[in-house]
Parts: sequence; C-alpha cells; structure tokens
Amino acid sequence: MPMKIRKSESDSQLVIERIHHAKSYGMTVDRSICVGCELCSLVCPREAIAIEKNPKKTGQKAQPPMIDVDENKCHFCGICTAICPYGAVQVVIDGKTIASVVEKESFPQLIREISVDVSKCPANCTECEDACPLDLIKVTQAPDSKITVDVKEEQCPCCGVCEVKCPEGVIRIRKIFTGKLKINQEKCPSGCQDCLDVCPITGALYLSEKDGKVHCNEIFCTYCGVCRIVCPEEGALGLSRSTIRHTPVRSGAWNRALEKLTSTTEMTKELRGKGKERTMEAVRKLLEPRKK
Amino acid sequence: MTEEKPRIGVFVCHCGLNIAGVIDVKDLTDYARSLPDVFFAKDNRYTCADPGQDEIRKAIKENKLNRVVVAACSPRMHEPTFRKTCAEADLNPFFFEMANIREFSSWCHPSTPEEATEKAKEIVRMAVAKARLLQPLKEIEVPVTNKALVIGGGIAGINSALDLAEMGFKVYLLEKTESIGGHMAQLDKTFPTLDCSICIEGPKMVDVGRHSNIEIISYADLISVSGYVGNFKVKIKKKPRYIIADNCTGCGECRDVCPIEYPNEWDVNMGVRKAISVPFEQAVPLVYSINLDHCIECYKCVDSCGARQAINFDQEPEEIELDVGAIIVATGFDIYMPYDDPLYGYGKYDNVITALEFERLILAAGPTGGKVIRASDGKKPHSVAFIQCVGSRNLKKYEYCSGFCCMYALKNAILLKEKYKEDVEVYVLYMDMRTPFKGYEEFYRRARDLGVTFIRGRASHIIEDSQTKNLNIRAEDMTLGQPIELPAEMVVLCTAAVPKTDAGDLARILSISRDANGFFMESHPKLKPIDTPVDGIFVAGACQAPKDIPYSVSQGSGAAARAATILSKDKWKIEPIVAEVTPELCRNTRVKCGICADRCPYGSIEAIENQPAKVVTAMCHGCGTCVAECPADAIIQKHFTDEQIFAQIEEALKKNPEGKILGLLCNWCCYAGADLAGTSRFEYPPLIRPIRVMCSGRVDRDFVLEAFRRGAGMVMIGACHLPYDCHYISGNLRMKARMDALAPMLEKLGLSPHRFRVEYVSAAEGLKYAELMKEMAEKLDELGPEKIKAENAKLKPILDRMLAKKRPQKAQSSK
Ligand SMILES: Cc1cc2nc3c(=O)[nH]c(=O)nc-3n(C[C@H](O)[C@H](O)[C@H](O)COP(=O)(O)OP(=O)(O)OC[C@H]3O[C@@H](n4cnc5c(N)ncnc54)[C@H](O)[C@@H]3O)c2cc1C
Ligand code: SF4
Ligand code: SF4
Ligand code: SF4
Repeated sequence: MPMKIRKSESDSQLVIERIHHAKSYGMTVDRSICVGCELCSLVCPREAIAIEKNPKKTGQKAQPPMIDVDENKCHFCGICTAICPYGAVQVVIDGKTIASVVEKESFPQLIREISVDVSKCPANCTECEDACPLDLIKVTQAPDSKITVDVKEEQCPCCGVCEVKCPEGVIRIRKIFTGKLKINQEKCPSGCQDCLDVCPITGALYLSEKDGKVHCNEIFCTYCGVCRIVCPEEGALGLSRSTIRHTPVRSGAWNRALEKLTSTTEMTKELRGKGKERTMEAVRKLLEPRKK
Repeated sequence: MTEEKPRIGVFVCHCGLNIAGVIDVKDLTDYARSLPDVFFAKDNRYTCADPGQDEIRKAIKENKLNRVVVAACSPRMHEPTFRKTCAEADLNPFFFEMANIREFSSWCHPSTPEEATEKAKEIVRMAVAKARLLQPLKEIEVPVTNKALVIGGGIAGINSALDLAEMGFKVYLLEKTESIGGHMAQLDKTFPTLDCSICIEGPKMVDVGRHSNIEIISYADLISVSGYVGNFKVKIKKKPRYIIADNCTGCGECRDVCPIEYPNEWDVNMGVRKAISVPFEQAVPLVYSINLDHCIECYKCVDSCGARQAINFDQEPEEIELDVGAIIVATGFDIYMPYDDPLYGYGKYDNVITALEFERLILAAGPTGGKVIRASDGKKPHSVAFIQCVGSRNLKKYEYCSGFCCMYALKNAILLKEKYKEDVEVYVLYMDMRTPFKGYEEFYRRARDLGVTFIRGRASHIIEDSQTKNLNIRAEDMTLGQPIELPAEMVVLCTAAVPKTDAGDLARILSISRDANGFFMESHPKLKPIDTPVDGIFVAGACQAPKDIPYSVSQGSGAAARAATILSKDKWKIEPIVAEVTPELCRNTRVKCGICADRCPYGSIEAIENQPAKVVTAMCHGCGTCVAECPADAIIQKHFTDEQIFAQIEEALKKNPEGKILGLLCNWCCYAGADLAGTSRFEYPPLIRPIRVMCSGRVDRDFVLEAFRRGAGMVMIGACHLPYDCHYISGNLRMKARMDALAPMLEKLGLSPHRFRVEYVSAAEGLKYAELMKEMAEKLDELGPEKIKAENAKLKPILDRMLAKKRPQKAQSSK
C-alpha cells in the first residue's frame, strides 16, 4: 500500500496518522485536556504545530486557543508529548504509546514531584479533590477506612493548588516550571479579563476587588503561557520561564528547546551547571546562526 | 584555396540494369560531357566495384580532374566510398559530389523512361553545378581526454563503469541518490532464474566501490555539460551528507541512537529509515547521511560516533568540475503510480499495491521480513491477482509496451506459489503474454504448471468490500468472450515503466533528444542503438526504453565499448561540414545580435558583446541552422554554401520551371524517406528536383524565394517529424518557425497556398513520400502552368528586389 497521511479532527480530538504498509504512526491531541498554551508549538522541531486563537465574541468569555498540527510536517518524534505539562498529546507507533525522543534520551521528561502521605489524611476530607482545577485527584475511603489519594500524574502540571488547600500538609508538590508572571497594570485595560478566562488553574489569576482588574498569584502559576496568547494588549502581560525540572539529558535538541522556552541566559546557566565541555561547544554552535 | 579552373569528371553508373534498365545511360553520359567544365565523362557497369573505382582514380590522374561527380545511387549509400576513392588519387575527398539517379529516378519512374532520363540529366547538371563550386576541406582533429563519465549507477551504469575501468580508463560514476544499485537493488528475485537480485548485484556494486579506476560520486546532481566529443567539461554539485565520507566506517552506531524515523523512499515508502542512515544495508558507498529536514539536532549521533568524528553539521554543497572524453547516460526509469486512474483504486483501497511494492513485500530483507501481508489487516492474502499493462499499451496513457512486466508478474506469481503453495490462488489478468527471450517461455510454462491462473482480458472496474477489504475485479474475459468477476484479497498492479521525471532536464543539459514517449533517443534504432545524436554521448539501459536486466547489462557493456572507441584514441576526427562566421560581416560587432548563438541547437556559437560571433568548430554538428538564421548572411556552412545551393536551384529550374517541384530535403529523414520510396520501387511523377541539405534547419528563406524567382511551380521543404525526430535536436523547429512566418507573406504576394509546402517525412515513410509526390503533381496540374506563370510574373519584381540585396554580398562573401 502506498504511504498514507491522514488527519481527522473533532471537538474532542485531533488525530494525525502516517500509515505504511507494515508500520503506522499516530499523534493525538486530546482537546478536552489541551489548554491551548504555546509550549509544544515552541519546541516542535518541524514547526508542525500552530496555535490558533479563537476569535472573541462580544459579550462572551474569551475562549482558549486551539492547536493545529500539520500532518505533512509531523514526524512523530514525541517532543510535544514530552513537553506538555497537561499530558494532552500522545504519539503512538505501531499501537504503542511512545515518545521516541525520550526513549533515545534525545529529550528529557518533565519531572513531576508529587508526594502524598495518606497516613495524615483526616477522614472524609476531599479538600484536594475539590480543589484540583483539572479534576485529576480522586480520594477514596475504603470500608476499612483506608484512604487512598489517586493523582493522574501524567496530566498534572504541578500547579500546587492542592498542596495549599490541604489542611494537613499531606500533599507536597514541586513545580515543573519556575518563572515570572507580571501584569503591567498601566497597560492592562480595565474590564478585560481574557487571561483569567482561559487560565486553566483556578486561582493563578484573580480579579482584585480593589481595582476590578486581573492580578496574579504566582504560587499557582504553571507558566504554560496560554494567558499571554490571548492577552489583547501588547506589553500588558509579561511571562518568562527560568527553570524546568526535567530528567537529565545531553542533547542539542533539548538545549534548543530550553532556549526557546526560557532564554539564552537560562539555557547557558543550565549547561554551565552541568559543566560539560562538549555541551558548551554545542551551545556555542547553537548561538552561531547556521544557514539551513 | 585552390583557384584553378574546375576540371570535372562525370561517371555514370549502370548499376547493372538498375539504372541502365530505365535510363538511357549513353545519352546521359554524352549530355554530361557537353556540360561546361566537364572534361571527362564515362559510364560504368558498376562504379562502386573495384574496376569502377580504378577507372575514377585513373581518370583523375590522366585527365588532371579536380572535381568528380558520380551519377549512381544515393549519397547515403556510397558517398563515403567515392570520397575515399578520390582521396586515394590524391584528390581532396570534398571535391566529390554524387548525383542520385537510381533512388531518385530509375527506381521510381520505371514506366516513363524518357522523363526519367530527362530528370537524371537535370540531377547530374545540378551536381555538376555544385561540384564547380566545391572547396577542399580538411578533416578536423581534436584531442581526447581518456576519462569517462557514467551518469546513473543502476545495473546498466555499473556495467559500463566496470567495463571501462577494466579497459584501463578512469571512470566517474555519478549517482543522484545516496547509493548505486538502481531498481535492481530493490527487487527480490530476478526472472527467469530466480536468483536473488541483491546477491548478484551486490558483489558488482562492491567491485565498483573498490575499483581503483572508478570514482563514485553519489548523492550528487549534474549541473552542466559543455564541450564536445573527447573534451567534455562537466559540472557536478554534491549534496551535503553531513558526514565526512573518509571517516565514516559504516558501523551504524549513530543510526541506533537516532530517535527520528522518516519514510524510506528507497523502500517505496513502505518502510522507514532514521534521520541518520543509509537507504539500505548493502549501500555502496557505505557512507551514512543525515537528512537535515528531519534531524532534530540532538547530537546523539555525534556522541556515538565519538573519536571517529565522522559527523560534520557544517558541510555545504560542493561543486566539482571534471574533464571527460565520453559520457554514458544510464539513468534508468521510474514506475507509473496509478493514482490518477480511478479504475484501480490505487491509494484508496488498502490492498491494491504496485508490483514494486510487492517486490519489497516478498523480499526477506523488506519491511515485513518477507511476509506477504495485507495492509488492511496484516494477514496473508489467500488470493492475489496481478493486473498487467497498467498504464502501458494504453493510448490515453503510455502507448508502448513496458517490456518486462509480463515477466516480473510471472516471477512474482511463481514466488507466491512456491512460498504458499495451495494456500494461495494466483491470477494473472493480461492482454498478451510477452515472453520472447531465452528461457522466458519456459518460465511461463513453469508458472502454468504451478497452477497460476491466466485470464486474458482487461480489468474494467475494481470494487472494495468495505468490511473485508477484499477486492472484486470486473473484467472482460476475451477467451470466453464474456464478462467475469474475480474476487481477490490482494491486487498487484504491474504499472508502466516511464521516463525519469528529470529526463527532460538531463536531455537539455546534454543536448540529446527524447522520443515521443520521453525516453532518450538513440541515433539510429537499429544500427546505432547506443549512440545519441551528440558524438561522444551514449545511452544504456532503461533510460532509452524499458529493458530488463540482461538487456540493460548488455547495453551497459555495449556503451562502454562504444565509448572506448573514442577514449582509446589520442585524437578524434570530426566531419568538417561545419559552420564558419565571416567576421567582417557579423553584426554582433555593431549591435547586440547573437541570434546564431541562441539558435544553435548545440550551443556551439559564442557571441561575446562587441565581437564577431565565433563557431566552436569541434562542437559544431554541421546542421547549418545558424547559417539560415543569420540576418547578415555572415555564416557559411562548408560543403553546403549558399552559392552551391543557389547554383543547384538555378540548374534545377532552367527548363520548364513552372512544371517542377523544387525539393529541399534533410539528409536524415525526408531524403532518406525519398530514398526508401525508390528502394521500395514506389512509382511517382518525376516532377521533383531534390536538393540535399543536412538538416531542414539549413533551409534559408532565400532558397525558397530564389526558387520562386526562377519560376518554380512548387517548393517543398522535407523535414524530420516534429518535435523530437530532428537529427540535430531542434533544427526542424527552427525551420518551422522561419517558414511559418514566410508562408503568409508569400500568400499575401499572391502565391497559391499549395505551392509552398513544409512536409514531415521520416526515413521510414517511403510510401508517404511517394503519395505526397502524387498529390503535389495533381495540385500542380490543377493550378495549371498559366496560373503559375502569372503568379510568378507578379512575384518576380518583388523577389528580384528582395534577393538583389543579397547577391552582391554573396559575391563578396565567396572568398
Ligand atoms: C517491479 C519490477 C520488477 C522487475 N523485475 C525484474 C526481474 O526480475 N528481472 C529483470 O531482468 N528485470 C526486472 N525488472 C527490470 C529492471 O528493474 C530493469 O531492467 C533495470 O533496473 C534497468 O537498469 P538501469 O540501470 O537501466 O536503470 P535503474 O535501475 O533505473 O537505475 C538507474 C540509476 O540511475 C540513477 N539516476 C537517475 N537519474 C539520474 C541523474 N539525473 N543523475 C544521476 N543518476 C541518476 C538512479 O538513481 C538509479 O540508480 C523489474 C522492474 C520492476 C519495476
Ligand atoms: S503543551 Fe499546551 S498547547 Fe500543547 S498540547 Fe499541551 S496544553 Fe496543549
Ligand atoms: S511529534 Fe514531534 S514533530 Fe510531531 S508535532 Fe510533536 S513535536 Fe512536532
Ligand atoms: S542529531 Fe539528528 S541525526 Fe543525529 S541522532 Fe539526533 S536526530 Fe538523529
């Protein structure tokens, strides 16, 4: 059979496939999970992912952007899977969910450090479950009153809302991304709350009672950046990432991704941290723009 | 140049009774003797036989003859013979001219001997007129670079390269893709012996890689070729592999660590390859390459390559220049992908595949490890139908037979039967089963004995069952004469072999021509099947027409031998019938002209601004197109000068011009077609007076005007068929453009439309030529001499004026 490249789209998912006679590749974006941030599109080496803003209808809430994947560009490397903090993308090769780049250590995995010490859980408490803005926590109490707290880790962006809401300090979360989010109140037009409308993390942005404007609470921010995309006012919202917790790798592709996600300085910092000659060389190479 | 007075000898041949049976040879000889400047005339029974030739040599010596005319057969037959005879008598061979009175008179006008004799007299008179103006010419010698370029590393090119290398010549083998091998490296087994394809080709590929005389230049494109036989300059652009070839050991460790897979084109996209990889394991040269389009630059490969340091991301494309003496083109073919024919459902139905895909499926080293499985469910099919002639032998697609599909269908049918025995039904749906060569018919029998079902008929429709994905073929069974339905779990389309998509570009770079199907064209389909019209460039293998492996291999060796005839010499002689610019007349010194350079089919004229144009003699093929195109009449073609042709026209039309057709026939097609009409004894009215030019591109507007000025009844230009048949690539197209402009002008001046004709007659169309002559004679008759005379009288003053401009110049330019 000649190679086939297919794409199908619905409200709930986007699927692209490359089917060979005896091998098949697929990439799926779960639209109920995807928040429309920019992370995957920033790091996709094939520039296959585009972020499409949803036009805002007057009188209605801002809608999160949608992502679109170019089926003729994607080569199913799995970088998007590896970077998505919400776990919205899956790459499947011959029926197996896989991120080749992670498998071959060409790209790191995000580190989600979530610890739950159920022994401290009081009976009948569902604070965390109720608090999780993404509905990822399930608290169950067995008839023998044994409590379990299940967290869908692969979809957790580590916002930390549960940690703050937990009355007993049962849950400990370390953030994946650190950075800065700042709203320049001078530029931010009053009455607009588009960023707040699209932010997937309840509480990361809030409407201040004092001035009626949006303010941020960085404790909860995951730095995914969807707010920046919808913000209609240039310079009103500033977001930058500085560190990303990830499994260790030595990879030019990661260095480049890191540079795009954070900044050249941050990337150099990370590399210097590793203190490796060869990798430094790679950086120098990366900094010299090369004609491709 | 010799300015001694012409002393012409005319030798009239009886050719047994071939000429003498119709033409009054004695009368003709006496007539020849009476012509001005003829000092000697004699008839012979067989002029080409030894005594006849002796006679010529003797007469030259004894009568101090300085021009020789032989009135006999076609110059296409014996001109070289008599030129040699002259040379042996110390007469420059270009002082020889032939009057074709056999093919053009005795053989085609047997029932009107008097008129045949009259025509013969005029043909002799025309030849004598030309002979009077002949100039001695020296053969041109050029040095030879003893190296060859072979373009295309398929089995044909591999054989050419190996043979030449074994003869001791340095060979550059240029391959567009990363590895040599061509289609043969993709195949499973080969008919009719069923040996494994790569097992027999692999060792040859390795030999090529190791041979000290062969340099493989792979993953590279031909950019330009200039120069001429023995002296080609070739520019090649190597694509970057991002691997330093000398450091790469071919270990493949980098491939193992690379995370990226992309479709492997070499595997017909049925399988995948890594961003750093070789297209197949047996690749030669065994040098990896990185596909930067897919590489994510993780540098894992760099790490794994380690101290070998073979990876270099900074590589750039590299241009190289080579000097070679001969070029062999062996670029092979592509297969037709029948996406555009809804009949077959290719690309739509999962279980319809091409034969090349099937080869990859059944091949043990292929993407399925040799398991023939369906794409729809990964299961082995229980019935497989091969459909022949997909695209081939179809007037709407590819008219020709692709040659090897019947045989590879048999092969794959046998392989299936031998592999799965009773577990698979195999059908072959064919139009005609073509198994002509050694061992092929026996192979067909073997397939039948194994239980393969052969159905004669053409598929009209294929439908897929949406549940099972099985296919149902509707066809007309021609043996039973009724429609049938054939269920099959897999359908294999044996699709046409088609020219490579870039064949047109290559033809342009090399100045070689292509046939109507787009394959490269040989110089002569029978006698020069490996030569191209460009001296020093040869073709081999499936790039010239679909060919199987044995045929491609033979041609590869044949081309090597042909190339060696040049490479083995230090000097190469070329015909001196070339064009030459008279610098004083060239306009390019005053205005930006360069028309000649633009029109030369071989790009052999340089027209640098403010300098007279210059013909690079060794590149000139002597078509004379530039001569006819030059607006200043500054170019002459040696041996076919304007004065010579004007003189022939004058003689042809001395008597009763309005009753005659003046023919200007190109040597390769129409003149040959006219010869064939004679050889075939097709009789036609004796009205034409033919003048031979090498190419119709040589036909100047002025020849046509001069003929009408002298009162011709009709003028006919006979050329090779458009667009590809021209022996000089595009001379016929140039002529057509010129005459397309001239014809309406003549009509406006009152010329009846039928009186000026451009006709296309191939060397094989003797009958067409004869029919044409009859039809033209009828038209001439219809018009009647009075009308023609009246039209001519009206034209004459205008033509006198138009040509007057030219005449004094002519006088100047002739020495
Ligand atoms: C499905 C199938 C099965 C077949 N089975 C058999 C069989 O069993 N037995 C048999 O005898 N024959 C078989 N054939 C036919 C066989 O493939 C051909 O006879 C053979 O490949 C012709 O060799 P070639 O060298 O002329 O051309 P190719 O094999 O086409 O090789 C041409 C080479 O030139 C290179 N090239 C092309 N253009 C350029 C360029 N511009 N510059 C540089 N390089 C260039 C190509 O990359 C290629 O390497 C089969 C064909 C098909 C399609
Ligand atoms: S990275 Fe962001 S945009 Fe991309 S899939 Fe994940 S949530 Fe959606
Ligand atoms: S799999 Fe790789 S190429 Fe495809 S969209 Fe994701 S990051 Fe881009
Ligand atoms: S740098 Fe490119 S070629 Fe090398 S391993 Fe990484 S993706 Fe593969």
